[in-house]
Amino acid sequence: MTELESVVQTGYDFAALMREHRAMVFSVAYHFLHDRDTAEEIAQDVFLSLHRNLGAIQSAAHAGFWLRKVAVQRSIDASRKRMRRPQVALEDVAEPVARGVPADPMLGETLRRLISTLPETPRMVMVLRYQEDLDPSEIANLMAIPVGTVKSHLQRSLALLREKLVRRGVREE
Amino acid sequence: MDWLEDELKEALRRKEPSPDFEARVTAAAGRRRPVIAMPPWLAAAAALLVITGAGAGYRYHQGQVAKEQVMLAMRLAGSKLNRVQAQMKVVRP
Repeated sequence: MTELESVVQTGYDFAALMREHRAMVFSVAYHFLHDRDTAEEIAQDVFLSLHRNLGAIQSAAHAGFWLRKVAVQRSIDASRKRMRRPQVALEDVAEPVARGVPADPMLGETLRRLISTLPETPRMVMVLRYQEDLDPSEIANLMAIPVGTVKSHLQRSLALLREKLVRRGVREE
Repeated sequence: MDWLEDELKEALRRKEPSPDFEARVTAAAGRRRPVIAMPPWLAAAAALLVITGAGAGYRYHQGQVAKEQVMLAMRLAGSKLNRVQAQMKVVRP
C-alpha cells in the first residue's frame, strides 16, 4: 500500500506516524529491556500492529497514546518471555569497584544498568517518568495501575538508585 | 528536580532505531492489507445484497435454460412440419 492509498483509506499517513513516533516506541522497549535487537523487533511489531489498526485511530493524539500503550505492553510481554537473565533485585546488584567520581557518560550507563535490574513494574514506571516525562497520573492510566502505586514505585526506585550511587561515591547527599 | 532526576532524564533520553528501520517496517507492512473496521449493519446489508443478487442471478439462469428448451422444441417441431409438408407434396403433387 502506497502512502497516498494509506491516507485515502484511513485518514492517517502511516509513514508520517512512524517518523514521528519511532524514537519513542523504540526507546520505551530499549530502556526497558536494555537490548537493542529485541527493542527493534518490538518497535517493528508495534508499528505493524498500528498498520493493521489504522482504521481505529481517531486523532493524532490517540495515535501517540495507542503506540505508547502497545509499546509498554509488548515490552513487558517480551521481558516475561525472555527469562534469559535471572531477575536480580536492585539491592542485590554488586557494587562496582569505586575509582573516584566517574565521568558523566559512565554515570548514564550505570543508571541504565541499574534501572534494568529493577522488577518490571517499577522499571517501566521509571522509563515512562524520565524518558517520556509523564506524570504519575498519566503513567497510572497507561499501565492500568493506581496512582499511589506509581508514586510509591518512583519514590522507592529513586531512593535505591540514590543510595547505590552515593555508596559508590558518585555524589554526596 | 534534583541532580539524580536530571541524570535519569539524560540517561533515558530517546534514541533512534537503526537507519533502515522505516524501510523494513514499510516493506513488511506492504505485504499485509490493513483491516478496515466495518459496522455490523453494513456487513448485514452487504450479506443481504449478495444473497438477493445470487437469487436473482439463479432465477435469470433458470429462465435462460427454459427459453433455450422452448426454442429447441420449436426448431424440432418446425423441421418435422417441413418434412411432413414435403411428403404431402410428393403424394399429392
